[in-house]
Parts: sequence; C-alpha cells; structure tokens
Amino acid sequence: MKITRREFIKSQAAVVAATAAGVTLPLSTTAIAEKGDEGVRWDKAPCRFCGTGCSVLVGTKDGKIVASQGDPEAPVNRGLNCIKGYFLPKIMYGQDRLTQPLLRKKDGQYAKDGEFEPVSWDEAFDVMATKWKEAIAKDLKDNADKPADQLTSRVGMFGSGQWTVWEGYAASKLMKGGLRSNNLDPNARHCMASAVVAFIRAFGIDEPMGCYDDLEHADAFVLWGANMAEMHPILWSRLTDTRLTKPGCEVHVLSTFENRCFELADNPIVFIPHTDLTILNYIANYIIQNKAYNQAFIDQHVNFTKTPTDIGYGLRPEHPLEQAAKNAGKGKLTRIGFEEYAESVSPYTLDKAHEMSGVPKEQLERLAKLYADPNKKIASYWTMGFNQHTRGVWVNGLLYNVHLLMGKISEPGNSPFSLTGQPSACGTAREVGTFVHRLPADLVVKKPAHRAFSEGVWQLPEGTLNGKVGYHAVVMQRMLKDGKMNCYWQLCNNNMQAGPNINEEMYPGWRNPDNFITVSDPYPTVSAQAADLVLPTAMWVEKEGAYGNAERRTQFWREQVAAPGEAKSDLWQIMEFAKHFKAEEVWPEELIAKKPEYRGKTLYDILFANGTVDKFPYEGKILDDRGNEYQNHESEYFGYYVQKGLFEEYRLFNSAPDIPKKGHEMAEFDTYHKVRGQRWPVVDGKETLWRFRGGYDPHVAGDRTALDFYGNPDGRANIIFAPYEPPAESPDKEYDLWLCTGRVLEHWHSGSMTRRVPELYRAVPDAVLFMHKKDARKRRLRDGQMAKITTPRGEITARVETRGRNRPPEGLVFIPWFDASRLVNKLILDATDPLSKQTDFKKNICKVAKV
Amino acid sequence: MNICSLIVHTRPDRVRVVEQGLLDLPGVEIHGGRAEGKLIVTVEDVGQGKVADTLTSINRVEGVINTVLIYHYDEGHLEK
Repeated sequence: MKITRREFIKSQAAVVAATAAGVTLPLSTTAIAEKGDEGVRWDKAPCRFCGTGCSVLVGTKDGKIVASQGDPEAPVNRGLNCIKGYFLPKIMYGQDRLTQPLLRKKDGQYAKDGEFEPVSWDEAFDVMATKWKEAIAKDLKDNADKPADQLTSRVGMFGSGQWTVWEGYAASKLMKGGLRSNNLDPNARHCMASAVVAFIRAFGIDEPMGCYDDLEHADAFVLWGANMAEMHPILWSRLTDTRLTKPGCEVHVLSTFENRCFELADNPIVFIPHTDLTILNYIANYIIQNKAYNQAFIDQHVNFTKTPTDIGYGLRPEHPLEQAAKNAGKGKLTRIGFEEYAESVSPYTLDKAHEMSGVPKEQLERLAKLYADPNKKIASYWTMGFNQHTRGVWVNGLLYNVHLLMGKISEPGNSPFSLTGQPSACGTAREVGTFVHRLPADLVVKKPAHRAFSEGVWQLPEGTLNGKVGYHAVVMQRMLKDGKMNCYWQLCNNNMQAGPNINEEMYPGWRNPDNFITVSDPYPTVSAQAADLVLPTAMWVEKEGAYGNAERRTQFWREQVAAPGEAKSDLWQIMEFAKHFKAEEVWPEELIAKKPEYRGKTLYDILFANGTVDKFPYEGKILDDRGNEYQNHESEYFGYYVQKGLFEEYRLFNSAPDIPKKGHEMAEFDTYHKVRGQRWPVVDGKETLWRFRGGYDPHVAGDRTALDFYGNPDGRANIIFAPYEPPAESPDKEYDLWLCTGRVLEHWHSGSMTRRVPELYRAVPDAVLFMHKKDARKRRLRDGQMAKITTPRGEITARVETRGRNRPPEGLVFIPWFDASRLVNKLILDATDPLSKQTDFKKNICKVAKV
Repeated sequence: MNICSLIVHTRPDRVRVVEQGLLDLPGVEIHGGRAEGKLIVTVEDVGQGKVADTLTSINRVEGVINTVLIYHYDEGHLEK
C-alpha cells in the first residue's frame, strides 16, 4: 500500500489524539501511523501561554519548529493540548520579528524625540547605562547617610510571570543585589497579587495547598470568576471528564456575565459585580446558622480574625476616595473569637444576599448547601474575577473562610485553588520573588534577618540590600509621570497595553523628557513603540528555560532553535548589562570598604562570575539522554553553564539546610531536565501533592489525619472576616453601565504573539463590545454596528456583539483587551486593591452610544 | 502541509448534532470517538479553508463543550 506523506501525518495525528482520549480507532488508521517520522527531533517543553503548565512535545526540523504534540507523559495534560497550542510553533515566526536593537536618534545621537534606528548591542547598552548611571548618581546623593531601610531609587524594572526562573532570579540579583533598588515588579502584579497576599494572610506561605489531581477527586466544582473553558481549557477538559463520568458530580459557575463555562453549569449564577463579597459571607452565615461547621477542625487548626475596613482604593493619596478612607491601605489582622465572627456574618442572610447580588434565592441556597454538605468534596477555582478586584485580598480570604469552616482543605478533592494566568507567575514572580517587597523563596526586604541571609548567599557586603519596599507596578507609572523614577526597563510583557489608565498615568511618564524607557520584546508592540530603546528578545524555546505552574510544578526545557538575527534572551540582556556598572559607580564608599576586593569590579563580576553561578562548565553543547544535541546561546557567550549555575545558587535560598523559610524545597537542576516537572516541596526526591497534610507533606509529622499550617508560627490557618464594601465606582445616571475587560480563547493576553499568526488574526481581528440585546436596542444599536464606549478616562469605538460567546446581563458590557488598535485599558481607572496593589479591571463605569 | 488533530468533547446525547456541525466545516475529518462523546478529528488546510479558522469555528459549534488540540504539523514556514 502506497501512502502519501500527508496521509501518514494525518493518521499519526489521529492516532495520538485517540490515544490521549482513550478511544480505539480502526486498524487501517493505526497501521499507517506506525511508520517512523523522519528528520524531526522531538523534545519536551512547557507551553509558554497560560499558568496551567501543559507539557508539549516540540518537533524541530532544519532549525525550525515544524510540529507540536501534547505530551502523553505529562501528568498535567496527558497528551492533550489546548487550541492555543496550535500557535506555539508559529509565534516565533511573525513577519515583523525584531532582530536588532533600535534606539531613538537624531543626527547620529540618542534623542528622546528622534526616530528609531538600528544600533549595535554595545551602543544600546552604552547609552542605556549612561542614563542609568546619571539617575543612580542622584540616588547616591539622596541616600547619603540614610539607613538601609530608607533608600530610594530612580531606576526600575518591570518584569514578567512569563520570564524563566533564572531570568527572574538574575533580574532580582541585578536590581536588588547590584543596583540596590527594590523597584522591581512583575506584570503578575496585574494578575495574581491578590491571591498571594491572601495566601500569606491566611496560611503564612504562598501558593495553593492542593494540586490538579483534585480535578478527579472532587465531587463538585465551583468557579468564582474564572472562565476556565476559555482560559484554562486543559483543566476544563479534565473537569468536564469528571462531571460527565462521576455520579452526582455538579458544577456551579459564578460570573458577572454568561461565558462558555455556562454550557456545563448545573447551577449557573450571574451576580451583580462585587457582590461575591456578600455571597461568600452568606455561605459562611448559612454554615454557622445550620451548625454545619467542622467543630474539631476549627478547634485544632483555625484562628478567627478580622481585618480593618474602609481601606480605600489604592489611588493617588490626594484622590477624594483616599482622603475619605479611614484606614487607607491597612490590613493588620485582629484576633476575635468564634462568637464575634458568627455575629459579623449574621447580617448576610439569604434575603440580603439575594437583594444585593440579584441571584435567585434557590440558586444561592443550592450553593450554600453544597459547601455545607460534609460528604461533598469541593474544588473551588478562581482567576481574575477574584484577583482583579479592589477587595481581591478580602474575597480570596472569604472563600478560604468557607473551606476552613468546613475543614474542606489540604486533602484530595477538597481544594480552594487559585488558577494563575501566566506560565511562571508562580515559578518566577512568586517563588523567585521579583516583587518590590520580596526576595527569593518567600523572604521579604523589610526583615533585616532575611536581607542578611540573602547578602550571605549573594556574597554581598553587609547592608547592601535595600529594606524599603519599592514602587509597585501602578506606582511605578505614577513615579515616571512625576519624574521621581527616571529609568525604566520593561521585559517580557506589554504593559502599555496591559496596564490601567494608559492616557492619564502611563503614557505621559514614558514620554516625559527626563526619563529613559527601555523595552525588551520580540515584536514591535505598543510598549516598544512608546519606548526610547527597543531590545530584540529571544522567546520560549529559543533559550533554555524553567517555569513553575499553578500547582507548584517546576518544569524545564532546552534551547531548541536559534533566535533570529541579534535577538538574545532576557537573561543574556540582564547579565550583559551588569557589565556596564563598576561597584564604585553604584555603591557608596562605605559599602565597598566592607568588601574592598570588589573595588574596580563590575556588577557582572560580583553577581554572576562569583564562583557559584559560573561553577558549572559548558562543553559547547547540551546533550539529552537520547544523545540529541542542543545549543545554549547564553552559556556559549559567557563560557559556563549559566542556567545551571543560577538555579543551583537559587536553591541555596529554598533547599539549603540553613534557610529561614522551609517548605519550598526543589530538586537538583539535572533532575528537572529528565522529569515532567515536580511539585515542591521536593524532599529526598519526592514531590508533594497536598501541602500541610501528614502522609503527603514531608514537613508534617503523622498520618493523613494530621494537619499543620506551618507557614504560620502557631500552625493554624486564619479565618478573616471582611464585610462587603462598594467598588471604587458604580454606574450612575451618566455612566450607566458596568465595563468589564478580559481575555478570549484565541488571543494570549495583549495579542503580541497570537495576533501575528495570520489566520488567527483574520479569525478574531478586533475586540468587540459584548452587550445585552436590550441594552443595544435602547441605544438604537444593532449587531455589527460601531459604538462609542466612554468612561471618565477616555473613549474607544468597537463593534456591537449581542449573540457571541459572552452574554452579559442588562447593565454590563464586556470588551477583551488583546486589541492594540483599541486600547481598552485607557478607559480603566488605576484603582487597586489597597493590600495587593492589583488593579480592578472588572468594575469600571461607562456609557455606550451610537457612533 | 498544515495538519492538526483534536479531541472535540460533546455531551454524549449531542454527538450526532455536533458531528454534523463539524463535517460542515472545511478540511474536517472524523476518525472515531462517537461512543465516548470524544470525537477524534483532524483538520487540514483546504483551499480557502485555513486550519486556524476552522479551529475557531469548531469552538462555536453548538453542543461543543471543549476542544483540545493534540498534534500539529506545519511545514509552511520551511517552504517559504
């Protein structure tokens, strides 16, 4: 039988799909597929899109990626791959890929008002370093004689939850250890900061106690502001499987508008924005009124506390809403007793919850009964609906309250679980600690003991690390506008499209003549176009990498293909830039005097060629177990195995015997190149599925009845009462609609990559305005017509869609933010959760009119 | 050559409707999985029917709960 290559590929495609689905195919199909695959080298890599952390097999031929397949050996996705995986091989091959540094110039010189011209890496970094040194010279003057916990800095870096682990680690070292600046924050601030603060407040340690295995163990699922069907399709697929095969399994979906998850919902709930606070307090009240709570669990494992109220909205201090707030930004917990807690939730009756949320009583009661049923194991999931919320920390905490009252936590199937949006928001942003207040492995800059420990690992003079919390994502933009921060380097994200209040708070700072803005990006995004210097970046499998997903799984990959032109990884850029600073240019004399051997050395010598990072030799190629060869452009350039050195030094923070905070242990570097990831804590080669539980977590003694919330000194978790408080703005006579922004399946975040896949661009070219038919009719608008959307910040136009995949109720409209030609975030107020500093992109007000 | 395979998850009682909806799309073949409610589907470029467009359309077919991609082969950028 003669078969064409096309038939062969198609049969193979069908067979691997059938294997993954557990479906048997006719023999004729499988016979064709049994022939070998020529000339394609296969290797694993985690997907570079969402936080699920699917493993993908990448097929390389002639130096290009030609094929991809869901990795059948991966426990996360078991051979499946979501539709975004389709773009993986294509995202690197967009027509307008940046291949050399571009600097704004006039008459051969850098000029803020010049046009972009190609320059060499040397010229790019020389100009950039000159600007940074000018700013740092001012800092040295300003900071003379100040103690280490009061240092300010005029330079800043905005990184990413899409950075590899070592990119985040190197960035933290350069900014915090080298330049003594805590102005390092990731775009993850916009994504899951509320989840982080809530973890720390309740459990004293970051990241979920459960894992994806709960998707099969749970009897019921509740989605709180998470459109899993579009944003986490592989997890949704596992959830769907359980729902359709496990008798009695049910799915409750809560959202402020109907989305694709409602197809599967047994209890579909559309609530009035912000009243998730009310609904959760009602559930707690229901549990208490019906004495359904788990008394033994509460007695042994829980503290009751309350949080300060009237805490403002994270706006500029002079804003009337901040002036009016009694406890702006406050979050210190006060211990209370069970009685006071019960009293605090008692006003949240079924009637009140119904009235405030607009949800029918029987639906609310069904949800409350589910949580109160001691025999139902429940997995609760949330994403941006909870996190992008001016009371995001509170609402995260209110859900933990419900799980803790019932003792439904830290065991198979009982799992409050924060889904992350980015592939390494956990592994890089959170675990490495690329936030303004953090150091690696849950250490914080405020604590002198944590700084001293970090200075020890990094071989820095005592007192190098800055103890003052830096400017977070939103404040960075305000400080650029106000001229208090003058140098800004943005890598691996597109904040000019992703950040809030673009016109009023972002763009003016970028174009402020006092400031020098650098953007590292593979494509000419909105951010790149607004910068002064653009650096071309190697992406995904054009570098060796490591990501940490939402279930604490650390996964590695090797460099598969070379980046085009002169594009280099962010890691290379950060390390190379460090060569441009001598210790005396950035440190005061008294600091150098403590380690005189650093005099005359560059920050590269001090931070990277330090005997630890440069310890592992690079033999000119990387080999896998099957004898395949791979390149590694950073190691080739610097002359040692860069990624291994950085990771092994990072392990001194999370896995050495003398570390201040246990519970984040990781395996050795080489292990991760062999396995399909492991979930930390990894102790004695064993990963941890459920934390805080005996029999699973190596830090907890005893059997599976034993629990120890060891992140807190007393081993107990905190139930934290917080009431309903209104959002920063609510619809009024003029702005009569809620405006909610978000994502769509086809485009990854701001669309920098996915909009460059031509077929895809054609399929979903523009952001549309999803609205209810009646709202459209009232404004004499019909499907497909252009509408003008106006908020107090600005206006955009978009086509009306009343029959799409998202069906808002009357009174609310939804616009995705992937579309660079209509920057919906210029409409968004820069109001944040005052505790997590995360912007609320879900609750703005707007009006809509016919154009 | 641009080919990919997927599993299209449907409610078991709606397999037939979904199957018809899928076969109306260009470049689609169904290889099995009807009994399980997990249709094994391949999609390839045919004339104006580009794979990415078809993938987007599959998600919009009434009764589809979820679509997962399994395998993708594309030599397009090598041929250019």
